[in-house]
Order: sequence, then structure tokens, then C-alpha cells
Amino acid sequence: MSLISLKNIYKIYNVGGEEVRALDGVNVNIQENEYLAIMGPSGSGKSTLMNMIGCLDTPTSGLYEFEGEMVNEMDDNQLASIRNRKIGFVFQTFNLLPKATAQHNVEIPLIYGNVRRDQRKNLATEALESVGLGDRMHHKPNELSGGQRQRVAIARALVNKPSIILADEPTGNLDSKSGQEIMEIFDSLYQTGNTIILVTHEDDVAKHAHRTIRLLDGKVKEDISVAA
Amino acid sequence: MFSLFIENFRISITSVLANKMRSLLTALGVVIGILAVTLMGTLISGLDHSFEKSMEFLGKDVLYIRKYEWFGDKEWWEMRNRPNIKIKHANSILERSQYAKYVAPVSEWYTSVKRDANEISGVRVTGTTGAYAMISTAEIEKGRFFSSSENRSGSRVAIIGKDIADNLFENENAIGERIRIGNYTFRVIGEIEKQGKFLGMFSLDKQVIIPIGTHQRLFTRRGWTGINVRVDENNIDNATEEITALMRQFRHVRPTEDDNFALNRQDPFKQQYSMIKLAIGGTGFFITVLSLVVGGIGIANIMFVTVKERTREIGTRKALGATPKMILMQFLMESITICLFGGLLGLGLAWGGSFIINQYFPSEMPIDLALTALGLSMFVGIISGLAPSYKAAKLDPIDALRYE
Ligand SMILES: Nc1ncnc2c1ncn2[C@@H]1O[C@H](COP(=O)(O)OP(=O)(O)O)[C@@H](O)[C@H]1O
Ligand SMILES: [Mg+2]
Repeated sequence: MSLISLKNIYKIYNVGGEEVRALDGVNVNIQENEYLAIMGPSGSGKSTLMNMIGCLDTPTSGLYEFEGEMVNEMDDNQLASIRNRKIGFVFQTFNLLPKATAQHNVEIPLIYGNVRRDQRKNLATEALESVGLGDRMHHKPNELSGGQRQRVAIARALVNKPSIILADEPTGNLDSKSGQEIMEIFDSLYQTGNTIILVTHEDDVAKHAHRTIRLLDGKVKEDISVAA
Repeated sequence: MFSLFIENFRISITSVLANKMRSLLTALGVVIGILAVTLMGTLISGLDHSFEKSMEFLGKDVLYIRKYEWFGDKEWWEMRNRPNIKIKHANSILERSQYAKYVAPVSEWYTSVKRDANEISGVRVTGTTGAYAMISTAEIEKGRFFSSSENRSGSRVAIIGKDIADNLFENENAIGERIRIGNYTFRVIGEIEKQGKFLGMFSLDKQVIIPIGTHQRLFTRRGWTGINVRVDENNIDNATEEITALMRQFRHVRPTEDDNFALNRQDPFKQQYSMIKLAIGGTGFFITVLSLVVGGIGIANIMFVTVKERTREIGTRKALGATPKMILMQFLMESITICLFGGLLGLGLAWGGSFIINQYFPSEMPIDLALTALGLSMFVGIISGLAPSYKAAKLDPIDALRYE
């Protein structure tokens, strides 16, 4: 059984009477512990596919199975629960809460997961240490560099020990050195058994992955795996 | 779920503190509403207290025979031409009435009271008989009332009120000491306990009581006179009827003529007071409801703005696993926090205000009212936060994340 199975997925928007096919019949299977890059030109449907996989979005038609469960049939609460327990998001713009410390930011998914306070603190500390920010726990986002902010976001994404980590252009807002550091973190997460899916349009970033899916106009144009 | 509650509370506090001025302005309606309702409550409780004490002073079972009506629609110039109340009728009433238990003639005049260099002006000098002590609810605290022989002989003895004792004697014993009432020297034989202010207006303790004969002789006939009659409380209406008839007879009022005197009682005060209370309560209620409604609309408005400003945050929270209900609770909590903050501020101001009220009417802020006020502000928070919070909860996560 695949971790993720997308069958004949369509996402169609209606913009001013005109049909926009953000996803146009996508079929993708993803196994556990894959390191996957989604590439393609701007507007090709990368983010849409990513959000679909992350259970943030629902398809216009098609079947989506996540760990054998039909995501299509889930209500808002079930989707929220899957996102909370199974999926870790990393955004291009970090999306940290500006008034909260690094530690508190990392604790947010645990709060929604109803984890007890003392346990939350331990898990958050552990996650921040794993991205090399053990000494920045009580800093607020505006006291951190871009690369450090993205590392807080990664710590937040993996604090719940999710089944997959999804990153939409995680290095898009970073200089190349910070970007490199972020990619090293993803590499080591992959090596410790995590499943990672990242969206990018940079070849340098994509070459870290072992499988690359290229989208064009909402269709899968290419799906290449490189032996690890 | 407790963690989430704490988290929501933390978010709310952070948000309120981050926009202090905005929160304050937003909460202003609630501040005024809560201020109005608690001040009104404090005022009414103070008035009640003061009113009850004042009514106690008048007594439920006492008829005050006077030239003027205390209440009613008679013109004062009509009453002005009435003959004065004659002191001698006090005895006639005692002899002829079957309901009168005690009858005291009173004669009053205002003048200054001195001891050495200390002087109090505008003291109520009451001339009366020993029966007065049986009618008045105030107790003699020290010393005694004058005897009937002192009364008959026109002795210069005085019973002094608390204001006089405090001002002229401070900690000294006043009994046996001499004071000057107007231009005449009197010996103090008694002190009356503290009675406070009458309806918050004038002090009942700024009084001296002397034998009526002495009063009539020394203080001319320029003051007013009256007769206080204590009757059986259960028969007060019969007594009123009977004594009215007696007075008409004594004063030779023809059957076709109206009474040329008044039989005053405490009851009309009560009616008057209920109306005042209703007016204060009504005004307070109106101000409260109005400011809470206006305030509530303002809060709903600001909450919509807040939801809009934090759309991306809402998207992020949803991506991290917040359910619609959790988002709803977050914003509802924020709206409640603003209202509670306003409510507490209003209560604080009201607490300060109650000290001012306390200067006029001994009163305190009723605790149950304070709690009700806080409950009320929470209620406003919930009502005005509902629509914006619902909007936040229903936001599509993708749209929220994409929001610029
Ligand atoms: N909410 C929306 N309404 C209308 N069109 C949309 C919406 N979201 C995405 N699209 C369209 O779908 C296509 C794919 O978008 P997206 O997945 O964001 O592309 P990418 O991430 O590859 O740049 C684009 O043409 C975009 O304009
Ligand atoms: Mg994109």
C-alpha cells in the first residue's frame, strides 16, 4: 500500500466564466521515506498539488487515499486532525506567529493535538535542537535571521512526528547559504526515515531529492526517480 | 482542551496588549455601560440605606401636625394664611384622642450655639416636652431627657445632638457643662446618639432640645410650631381621621371649609422615593443598554477587522491542525477578553465613583451587581464576537494562506 495515492485528480477553478485547470488528471503514488521534488513553471499547479497532498485542499474530482484512508470523504474536523497528526508544513514565507517565541511557535501543533504542557515543552525543545536552534528557544521571529526562522518552521513541522513533511519553495525567500543549510536539514530528516515532498523551481534544490515530478499546465509531464 | 483554553487566553491578552489604544477605544462602550450600571446600583443602595434611616427618624407610627403639607398639590401661599398650630392643642389631643399614645408639642427656631470661642451657627433648637423622648426613635446616649418639673419651670437645660457634642466638646464630657444658645446660657443634661443626615440633605445631629416653655419665652414666636403624635401603628388611618376631626373642632373649621392644618406622615415619602428610584434606575438602565449595544456593535466591527488582519495566521493555524471550532473559540475569547477588560475598567472607575457617592450617602458597591456587570460584559463579548469568529472559523485554509 502506498503512503499517498492520487487517482485522476482534477482541480478546476472558474475564473470569470473561464475554466482554469490547476490540476488536470494527476495520478501519483508516493511511498514511505521518499524524497520527492515537484517542479514546473509558475502556475503549473505545484502548490495546488502540494495543498491537495497536505489535505488543505480538496479535489474537484478524483480519489485521494492517505495511508489507506479516503481523504475525499473527510469533513473539516477530520482533515484538521490529519493535518495535525500526519502532515508537517513548511512555507516559503515561514508563517511564524510574530509575537510568540520559537518554542511557543513549535508548540502550536501540539496544543491543537492536545498534548500536555510538560510533554509539549520537551518535544518542542527536542525539535528545535534537531534543527540546531537549541540556543534560540526564547527568541521571537524578529530576533532571528531568515534561515533561522525557516528552521523554526521546520521544527514546527516535525514536532508531531508526521508521516510526511511538505515544503512549498522552502528556500525561495532565503539567500543561497541559508538555503543550503535548510536543504542539509531536509537531507538529514530524509536519512532518519522521514518522507519529504518539496516544491521548487531551482534545479540545485531539486537535485537533493531522489525523485522529481515535473508539472506543466496541471499535468504530470515527467516522473523520474534516481537510485539513492 | 485546557491547554487550548490557556493558549487562546494568551493569544487574546497578547492581541489586546499589542493594540492597547484600539482595545481601549473599542471597549469604551462597555466601560461606560458597566460604569453606568454599577454606579446606579451603588447609588440606589446608598439611597435605600439613607432613606430607610431617614424614615426611621420620622417613624411609621407618628403623625406630624403642621401648618404646611410636606407633599401634595396645595399652593404654599394658601397654606401661609393658615393660623399657626397652637401648642395647647397637644394636651387637648392627648385628653380626647383614643389612638394617641404620646403627644409632644414642638417649636423650632434656628440659631447659633457657642461654647467659649467655638460657635456653630444654624443649629436647630427644638422646644418640646418629655413626651418627645417617647416619640423620637433616637436614644439618649449620655445623660437624660428633662423632667416634667424642669419643663414646667422653664429651666435652661439642653440635650445636644452629636454634631454639637463633637464640635464643642470633642473628647470632653459635655454633661453638666454650659453652652450658649443664642444669647442665653444653658446647662447640658444629655446627649443624643448619632442620627446622620436626613435623606442626605441636612444633619439631624445639628440640634439642641430644650423645654418648650423656655423655648417660647426666649426664642419669641417667630419659629414654627407643631405637634407630634405617636399612635398605634395598626390604627394609623383611624388615628389620622380622628385627630383631623379633633383639630378641626379645636380650630373651629366649618364643615364646608377645608382643613387649615396638615397631618403629615412618612408614607408619601415612600411613594416619592419609589418614583425617584424608578427614575434613577430607568436612566441607568437606558444608558447601560444603549452603551452596551453601541459598544457591542463597535466590538463586532473591530473583530471583523482583526479577523481580516490575521487571515494568514488563521490559514497557518488551520494548516497546523486547528479545527474550525478551535478558531471560533480563539476569536470568541478575544472578543470576550476585550469586553471583560472594558468591564473591569468600568468596575474600577465605578469603585472610585462609589467613594464619591459614599460621601453623600453611606453606601458600598454591591458585590452581586459587580459580578452581574462582569457577566454582562462577557455576554456582550460573546454576542458581538459570534459573527466575526464564525467568519474566521469558516475561512478556507488555502484562501486564508494565499491572502495578501
Ligand atoms: N483560488 C484560485 N482561484 C482561481 N485560480 C487559482 C486559484 N488558485 C490557483 N489558481 C490557478 O491554478 C493554477 C495553479 O496555481 P498554483 O498551484 O499556485 O501554481 P504554482 O504553485 O505552480 O505556481 C494557476 O493558474 C493559478 O492561477
Ligand atoms: Mg506556488
